[in-house]
Amino acid sequence: MEEPKFALQMTDITKRFPGVLANDRISLDCKKGEVLGLLGENGAGKTTLMNVLYGMHQPDSGKILINEKEVEITSPSKAIELGIGMVHQHFKLVETLTVLENIVLGIPSNKVFLDLEPIRKRLLELCQEYELYVDPDAEVWKLPVGQQQWVEILKALYRNAQVLVLDEPTAVLTPSESDQLCRAIRRLTSEGRSIIFISHKLREVVEITDRVTIIRDGKLVGTIPTSEATQAKLAHMMVGRPVSIDRRPRQALQQKKPVLVMKDVNALDERGIQALKNFNLTVHAGEIVGVAGVDGNGQKELAECISGLKKPVSGTISVNDTLITDVVADPKFIGFIPEDRQKTGLVMDFSVAENLIIKEYDKEPYAEKRLLNLQNIKKHAQDMIKKYGIKTPTDTVKVSTLSGGNQQKVIIARELDSEPILDIACHPTRGLDMGAVSGVHDVLMKERERGAAVLFVSAELQEILALSDRIIVLFRGEIMGEVDGDTADAFTIGQLMLGQALEEKT
Amino acid sequence: MKTEKKANITTIPFLGDIILSGSRTLIGIALGLLTSGILIALSNANPLVAYGAMIKGAFGDIYAFCNVLVRVSPLLLGGMGVAIGNKAGIWNTGIEGYMYLGAIGSGLVAIQDWGLPSALHILLAVIAGMAFAAAWGLIPGYLRAHRGVNEVTCTIMLNYVAIYLTNWLVSDAGFFAESGAFFPMSKIFQDSAQLPILLRGTSLHPGVFVGIIVCLIFFFLLKYTPFGFRTRMLGGNPNAARYSGVDIKKQIILVMVLGAMLGGLGGAIEVIGLRHRVYSDFVTGVGYECIAVALLAGGNPVGVIFAGFFFAILKVGGATMSIETGVSSSMTSIIMALCVLFVIGVGLTDNHRVKKKSNKADAVAVVKQKEE
Ligand SMILES: Nc1ncnc2c1ncn2[C@@H]1O[C@H](COP(=O)(O)OP(=O)(O)OP(=O)(O)O)[C@@H](O)[C@H]1O
Ligand SMILES: [Mg+2]
Repeated sequence: MEEPKFALQMTDITKRFPGVLANDRISLDCKKGEVLGLLGENGAGKTTLMNVLYGMHQPDSGKILINEKEVEITSPSKAIELGIGMVHQHFKLVETLTVLENIVLGIPSNKVFLDLEPIRKRLLELCQEYELYVDPDAEVWKLPVGQQQWVEILKALYRNAQVLVLDEPTAVLTPSESDQLCRAIRRLTSEGRSIIFISHKLREVVEITDRVTIIRDGKLVGTIPTSEATQAKLAHMMVGRPVSIDRRPRQALQQKKPVLVMKDVNALDERGIQALKNFNLTVHAGEIVGVAGVDGNGQKELAECISGLKKPVSGTISVNDTLITDVVADPKFIGFIPEDRQKTGLVMDFSVAENLIIKEYDKEPYAEKRLLNLQNIKKHAQDMIKKYGIKTPTDTVKVSTLSGGNQQKVIIARELDSEPILDIACHPTRGLDMGAVSGVHDVLMKERERGAAVLFVSAELQEILALSDRIIVLFRGEIMGEVDGDTADAFTIGQLMLGQALEEKT
Repeated sequence: MKTEKKANITTIPFLGDIILSGSRTLIGIALGLLTSGILIALSNANPLVAYGAMIKGAFGDIYAFCNVLVRVSPLLLGGMGVAIGNKAGIWNTGIEGYMYLGAIGSGLVAIQDWGLPSALHILLAVIAGMAFAAAWGLIPGYLRAHRGVNEVTCTIMLNYVAIYLTNWLVSDAGFFAESGAFFPMSKIFQDSAQLPILLRGTSLHPGVFVGIIVCLIFFFLLKYTPFGFRTRMLGGNPNAARYSGVDIKKQIILVMVLGAMLGGLGGAIEVIGLRHRVYSDFVTGVGYECIAVALLAGGNPVGVIFAGFFFAILKVGGATMSIETGVSSSMTSIIMALCVLFVIGVGLTDNHRVKKKSNKADAVAVVKQKEE
């Protein structure tokens, strides 16, 4: 018998949600040993299509073939049985359990007592084989996001996935981690496994995939071999118009009015390890300061301290001469786009309209005479949906039904629309499509021109270089170096990120 | 993605939700009654006869129905006390204790002969009851908010303390206990401190109306006020609540104390409306039934009204059922428990199924559209 050529074929998949046609007769296929890129704007229906494949949603119509045999995938466990693995856009790990326990979870077993030793051994083998190292006994919440990603992948591999879906895996990875992932992907495909790779980072897509399928508005635009694709062409197919995120022309800062002033700040992370060391920073009005650095070098604590969510151990932080002593929830003062949208930035069970006012629900015009003014809340939501291009059927649906990128847009709208004095934007473009990224850059540039002080934390060097007037590089809680945005280059910053101080400093 | 308008029950925002969750609850209750019916049959009684007796016991005549109304009052108030906690993600399981404290507080005022006009005396008694319960609720509230103590363990432990405190007060405390009584009880309440009887020959007092009004007020509070928004936000995602500037600790304490005050009000009304004394053990599990009421209601204040009535009907009718058909009187509790379990179970599995079904219906509609 001939070996089947296709590991996966999906034909004419249609999936609708109340009021939304998320997938409209989409077809794609993936050969054995192939990496298929899946591209599309936020809300195009990528995650939905993959959830259909993984048995989380039932398609309304359409066929799925695995190894060229038609199958019906009624549940994730059925999908796993069929050799499908999925790493979700928002991880599904149990954070209080250890890595090993997370791997074991959901594996059917008929033993009364679980013998973890063979599982641990196999896990360590897998770590070795794919160079994705994690400590089996670490509790998941203590791991940096990158490693949580490894855990998700290892979990799928432990179940011997032949078709592995990675839904925006690199959104949370550092460049070196992304390289690591690419190596693992190559190894997987060389073993004949197939990968479906969803990403908004076109550079990676061009680098790693063999073919690319592009969808827009729930419909198939086309599938092309990667050899015929360029980043510009893909972006065009995805958005329907050319886009770019180059450095924007700007006027030099006229006068220097300090807005954010941090003096000798020391802070601990949630594990009690020092995360900021004698930290001094000043950000002026009308200036974008880019914060570069490998994730986990104090960026999160920096943002949390400024917004008051975290109390520094020592030192002072002031914004416009007001000392920050408590949580600042006034978006006219500080706009804060937090790093983790689902854990901190949104109430997933609330509607889009409610999420847009969670900081101002008790202020006019949303509350009048101690009552919520539902009409004003609705009107505001509709304005924001239009202004920020949030894709949602209505303002009353739960924010959890929005696509990842559109959830992010809800936060951006809420935090930046009331024109704060200081903007703290932590990975604001994480998970956004090219068009939306360029939209966020527009917004942040406008904030700068308006005179806001902007602290822009990102793991994307390209974006940092495109936006910043000044760039500081964090390394182990300290500023490793500072470079001018106009003259900065990726190489220097890369060096600083690895903890190598600039020459003139040494 | 293409957005389109279409009439579907799940897309009508407010009404659709109510119909959906309401029908789920009804299915759960039906399953609960069905299963209980099997148990009744197993204990050698005809389930239909038994349920008939139950309905007769609850609705047979005006006295029976008044009895239901009397029983429902603490369930509504206590149930609402638990439900407001649920909305904030807190399990306020201390209703039993709050009811005792409410009874003690109001009792201390109600036994005094101050020659006050009745309305004033009642008001003072109620306020005292609620104040006592609030102070009691402050303990688990503080421990939960500032010390991270699990509120369930804490409130249940405090329930026992409240029970023994009451026992001591009604048996040994000279200023409160009736001396030489055959059963531990407090002194009798002054006439001026007793709630009026609304229907002669019954014990119907206005408690049920207070309960309904309180539930409606909380429905309104949760949906239309910043306080409600804050509470729901705390329940939905405490991290986001903190990030939005909510003083989480204060809010936790506030919600627990509010729940306690409602429980205390329930206890106070029970003694000044019905018993006219504080007896030892007079609450006997009503506080725990309130937790079941809130569960059945899914934390929804309007749901609390329905769930409270359902339980009161079961309790009143259950007594008749057990007398007429000989099934054990604990059958009532079994029925309650089964209904709660099935409602929760249906809620969990149904989420999935309803979605699937409505999607299929949509798909059919699409095909039709295309054919046209
Ligand atoms: N469970 C759901 N209920 C209702 N609508 C949903 C649900 N899941 C997704 N949708 C809708 O389906 C559409 C497609 O969403 P999907 O998550 O597939 O987008 P995506 O391509 O993965 O976008 P992103 O790049 O932002 O992650 C969106 O408009 C979304 O609002
Ligand atoms: Mg997605």
